[in-house]
Amino acid sequence: MFCDQVVELLEPIAAGDLAPDEGVQRHLASCARCAEALAAARRVDQLLRSRLVPTPPPQFTGRTIARIRRDRWRREQFFDAGFNVAIAAVLAGVVLGVWMIIDRSGLSAISSDLVDLFSEEVVTVARQMAPSMSLYAGATALIATALAIWWWAERDVTL
Amino acid sequence: MDAGRERDLVERCRRGDEGAFQELVDEHRSLVFALIARVIPDRSRTEDAAQDVFLRMYRGLPYFRGESRLSTWIYRIVANVCAQEAARRPPLASLDDDRARPPAPAAADRQFSDLELRERLEKAIARLPPNQRLLVAAHYLEGIQYEDLAEALNMPMGTVKTHLYRAKQQLRRMLETDLR
Repeated sequence: MFCDQVVELLEPIAAGDLAPDEGVQRHLASCARCAEALAAARRVDQLLRSRLVPTPPPQFTGRTIARIRRDRWRREQFFDAGFNVAIAAVLAGVVLGVWMIIDRSGLSAISSDLVDLFSEEVVTVARQMAPSMSLYAGATALIATALAIWWWAERDVTL
Repeated sequence: MDAGRERDLVERCRRGDEGAFQELVDEHRSLVFALIARVIPDRSRTEDAAQDVFLRMYRGLPYFRGESRLSTWIYRIVANVCAQEAARRPPLASLDDDRARPPAPAAADRQFSDLELRERLEKAIARLPPNQRLLVAAHYLEGIQYEDLAEALNMPMGTVKTHLYRAKQQLRRMLETDLR
């Protein structure tokens, strides 16, 4: 047997996957270079077997689950935003469509009269509301604060 | 984990049971972490990459048809994560970098200690191609079967063994002088 042939068998022999036959054994007994290479292969195998097995930190599962929750939340936010944009686009389309129908059917002239009438009513109502404006402003601020607290609490929980 | 319990866990995960997924993470975390830590030399990336594996599992579970074993599927994800990590990692410094420095006089003709040899072995492993590195890492971890690796890497069993022998041959050659 030649060195080239034996060299190819060294790793399987060192790993214990192959038992050297007589020819290989004879070659290894007579060739110092191949015998040395086999010893080195066995040493590599032994070193690999005794490598440390890294262990995960104790909080690994908790941190992984937290990361998955964050990822899920981000994805939900993304889909929510997409859904909202789609709804807004549909609404805009409906409004545009209604406006075009009104414009083409000649209803716009009537509607402009209606708008004038409505504007006058709005001015009248505004004049009546003016004395209580600070009360309305306070109520609006309260509702806005409540909504902000709700949004903040919801955001904190999902994170 | 027996096949019945595995199927049950997967089914519960698919229904959105977070507790079931937590059980799945607990079941596989040691193996995944050890595998990733052995394949990715950058310690600061180990935990992130191991979490990536479970994140991909979570996203992919609804599409997991159960045609292969869950462990096989996990190894495939590990292999993909490792390949991605290898692609983003800068090229490694030469194995002989520390030899380029002038040796301390006392250490000039001292034999490599076991610790130094292990350190050089880790550096040598880091220089192997990602697939071979994964094979070397997995082969010496308990609980990982050749069949799973062959299936995960889309290779016949014989090719897996050939790759493993080649990897070890390369390691032997890289450490030739240290092993004498």
